[in-house]
Amino acid sequence: MEALTTIRPELLTLTDGQLQALMPYFLVFGGISLAIIASVLRSLKPKWPVFILGMLTTIAGICSASGLLGSQAGSELIFNGMMVSDAYSNFFNIVFLASAAFTLLSSFRYLDHEQLQHPEYYVLVLFSALGMMLMASALDLIVLFIALELMSLSVYVLVGFRRADRRCNEAAMKYFILGSAASAILLYGSALLYGMTGSTNIRDILAFVQAHPQGLPVVYVLGAWLVLVGFLFKVATVPFHMWMPDVYEGAPTPVTGFMTTGLKAAAFAAFVRVLISAGYGKGLVTAVQSHFHDILWVSAVLTMLVGNIVALTQVNLKRMLAYSSIAHSGYILVGMIAGPGSEQGYAPVVMYLVAYAVMNLGAFVVLTILAGRDDSGLNLQDLAGLSRRHPWLSFAMGVFMFSMAGIPPTAGFAAKYLLFYSAVQANEIPLVIIAVLCSAISVYYYLRVLVYIYMRDPAGSPAASRVSVWSLVAVSAMVVLTLQIGILPAKMVSAAKKAVTSL
Amino acid sequence: MAWLDSHLLTTTLFLPLVWAIFGLMIPTGTPGGRATLRTWTLLGSIATFALSLLIYQRYDAAGAEFQLAEAIDWLPALGISYQVGMDGISLWLFLLTTFLMPVAILSSYQAIEHREREYYFLLLFLETAMLGAFVALDVFLFYVFWELLLIPMYFLIGIWGGKDRIYAAMKFFLYTLVGSLLMLVAIFYLAYQHKVQFGSYSTTLIDLYRLRLPGEGYASAQSLLFLAFALAFAIKVPLFPLHTWLPDAHVQAPTAGSVILAAVLLKMGGYGFMRFAFPLFPQAVLLYQVHFLALGAIAIVYGAWVAMVQPDIKKLVAYSSVSHMGYVVIGLFSLNPVAAMGSYYQMLNHGISTGALFLLVGMIYERRHTREISAFGGITRVMPLFAVAFMIVTLSSIALPGTNGFIGEFLILLGTWQASRATAVVAALGVIFGAVYMLWMFQRVMFGPVNHKENESLKDLSFRELAVLIPMIVAIFAMGVFPNFFFSKLDPSISRFLERSTGAALKVEAASAPATAVYAAKGE
Repeated sequence: MEALTTIRPELLTLTDGQLQALMPYFLVFGGISLAIIASVLRSLKPKWPVFILGMLTTIAGICSASGLLGSQAGSELIFNGMMVSDAYSNFFNIVFLASAAFTLLSSFRYLDHEQLQHPEYYVLVLFSALGMMLMASALDLIVLFIALELMSLSVYVLVGFRRADRRCNEAAMKYFILGSAASAILLYGSALLYGMTGSTNIRDILAFVQAHPQGLPVVYVLGAWLVLVGFLFKVATVPFHMWMPDVYEGAPTPVTGFMTTGLKAAAFAAFVRVLISAGYGKGLVTAVQSHFHDILWVSAVLTMLVGNIVALTQVNLKRMLAYSSIAHSGYILVGMIAGPGSEQGYAPVVMYLVAYAVMNLGAFVVLTILAGRDDSGLNLQDLAGLSRRHPWLSFAMGVFMFSMAGIPPTAGFAAKYLLFYSAVQANEIPLVIIAVLCSAISVYYYLRVLVYIYMRDPAGSPAASRVSVWSLVAVSAMVVLTLQIGILPAKMVSAAKKAVTSL
Repeated sequence: MAWLDSHLLTTTLFLPLVWAIFGLMIPTGTPGGRATLRTWTLLGSIATFALSLLIYQRYDAAGAEFQLAEAIDWLPALGISYQVGMDGISLWLFLLTTFLMPVAILSSYQAIEHREREYYFLLLFLETAMLGAFVALDVFLFYVFWELLLIPMYFLIGIWGGKDRIYAAMKFFLYTLVGSLLMLVAIFYLAYQHKVQFGSYSTTLIDLYRLRLPGEGYASAQSLLFLAFALAFAIKVPLFPLHTWLPDAHVQAPTAGSVILAAVLLKMGGYGFMRFAFPLFPQAVLLYQVHFLALGAIAIVYGAWVAMVQPDIKKLVAYSSVSHMGYVVIGLFSLNPVAAMGSYYQMLNHGISTGALFLLVGMIYERRHTREISAFGGITRVMPLFAVAFMIVTLSSIALPGTNGFIGEFLILLGTWQASRATAVVAALGVIFGAVYMLWMFQRVMFGPVNHKENESLKDLSFRELAVLIPMIVAIFAMGVFPNFFFSKLDPSISRFLERSTGAALKVEAASAPATAVYAAKGE
């Protein structure tokens, strides 16, 4: 804590490498600032300028992050080790920004249609993407907390964006209160850890743990528990999942899509980084390690079971996808449990997050197109006979559903294959058997969507929805990606591997 | 040509899919457009059949190992490669598939009246998936094709099926999927064992054959892995008591779907046993021999009894499949060359005869829109050609000498007698029951007075329908009279299969380098 009392110039200046490493963040932040300015110029009809600025910002961010991904060797500590820029963070930066970009694409017409076209929407999406980027690179509990709040606060507003709608308000309120509680738990845990170890830096905390091989003080364990619970809350694993279905159902559809992809990936990205940096899998004493392992194991099994079984009975598609999202969190936990014991490490987790983001975002873009006024018309029976009205959208939905169910040749299958394979390597065979049986359950509700789309006749003759060019671009991109990752997964696997080896 | 020579299997494999994608571009708004689409699809399947004849010609009868092999890295990080090749066991099932596809397509001309573009696309897509499963030499690749073929079949049943099509499609999909997911876990374990035992990742079949897994007792690795594989294959076969999806799927599927289900998809179970479950886990096979022989024998008798009381012709044929596939299972588990040969032959026979039966049932259904046995009677008088064709196929199904069915069942009973007399006796009873239900059904449908007015004006077979049936009938007699033609390219592979499954080949293969066998076949 000397930095607070004495000024050390080397802490205030940035080397060239650090400056470069910060470029994606600067670009996104600069873009956001411009977008804010553009959005207050009401006389300009700010819809187009803000939308274009938002798209340019995400593209610039993606370009600079992928440039870093190619050029950067090793990791770059920034701001006195509070943040780190490495292949992992840049990989996820691309995921977050791409997810934001596709959300913007699919929202554009939707907002017109719903008469919600306010420029703040785009700014908030970008802000929360920035929060995600910071989360994936945080190496300090304080930075992590700030990033988390930046992301969450923006999303709270987005969830309640349809101000006049009751369900939307309910969702926003619920999400705000429960999300704040989760943040508070995380913060409380961080405070306890700081109290015991004298630092909020994760690597210092690891050093503290390693210095106490005999046993850790109770307060430390309590703090670690609370941090863990905070994360489990954010990634919505059972029994901390209660907020999710209501929020997903009530939020405007593109926002839900953004939440299931970006938000989830960010929470897991930070979770994995914190867990590994805190010594999970390497460096923890056996007792603590197996303790963490057991907590995650129980949570994974419960999450997969509850998510999949409850999803079986849902008739609203957004709600069904919410429960399916819970189930997928369970699979990802399987990967985290397997991480230390398998040679693939956490690469399957990263791969799964990407695959999940792609297929889920795709499904939500389709739902966004189909949604009627106030997000009506998203029940299963509204999809009856969709294949006559929208053959290509139906095909896309088919690809996404098969992918989520884990049927080849889709991204979902390749990712699941890798994930469960690594769990077998880690000798978690009972867990894998539970996981594959759960995914067999999930096939039922994914296929039921296709039953309605392809095999049932529509009631009456519903009108076809209007499909904007922007949404079409987003859907096609997701279909191509889903199939591409599924058929030729080698590239994505090596990218994921590269990302996790930098951890 | 040089390129085609070295990529013959891949070309044949993906030709239907590529062909189908072009087919999607044909506008089907007019009757002319629809006719173009049908012709286009038929041509695609005939072209595939032609290529597969080329494969037949290139296949060297003397070789026991995989031929025409191709290998490309796919996911090197996990040792996964795109590897295809065939031995005699693949060859004939491959040919059966390509032979039946034109027939199935031709039979759909009138039956399918809506959404034809999707229908024909799915049929060709299905062909690629089935062919892929028969030639995949990498367990990952095999699994991909194995699951892939569920997708088109699911839609074929669910969209163009009968009244309860959605239930049947869902049941078919879930049933087969649950079985294969446990197989997937077993595949993970095998692939990981290769890493443990040989230090490198591989999912190539030839490499996995070299694994040594503990096989003593019911809780051993071999036993558990065998059960995981066997569950997937037994559901597909389908073996009693896992057969319950089959009557639903068969009855609800459109004619072409039923033909393909019966003729090819069920064979995947038998093929899976021969290619994977037996050679990979020889000790476990011995351990479970008795159980599977018993289940097979039960399936034969049970299937026959249930078939006997069915009021619906299609359902009767569906249950007869359960009975016929029971023979395949007891033949395989008898573990001797005669029975194994018979078993394999029986798979081909069943493909032809049951396929033909479903075609015939489809034809009469198109005319009468019912399949109730009681709705018919005296059909011989109104449809003589149809009656002749039905007679021939029925006789083939009850294994009359001179038809294909006889060779298969005779060899199986002969071989099973050596392995287990009790099983052979029960199975022989099944032959009698088989004759009873088929002939009884034939009698009720074909003979007697014409009781129903609607039946008096039924048209006999059209030229197109004859074109569908004649190849099948020719195949029935060809296989019944010239079995040696088929055995010659099969013998070495069957004996190699048995060497592997009884553990005799372990020593030989441990000595040879991993993938050399594949390349040796290419002449390098």
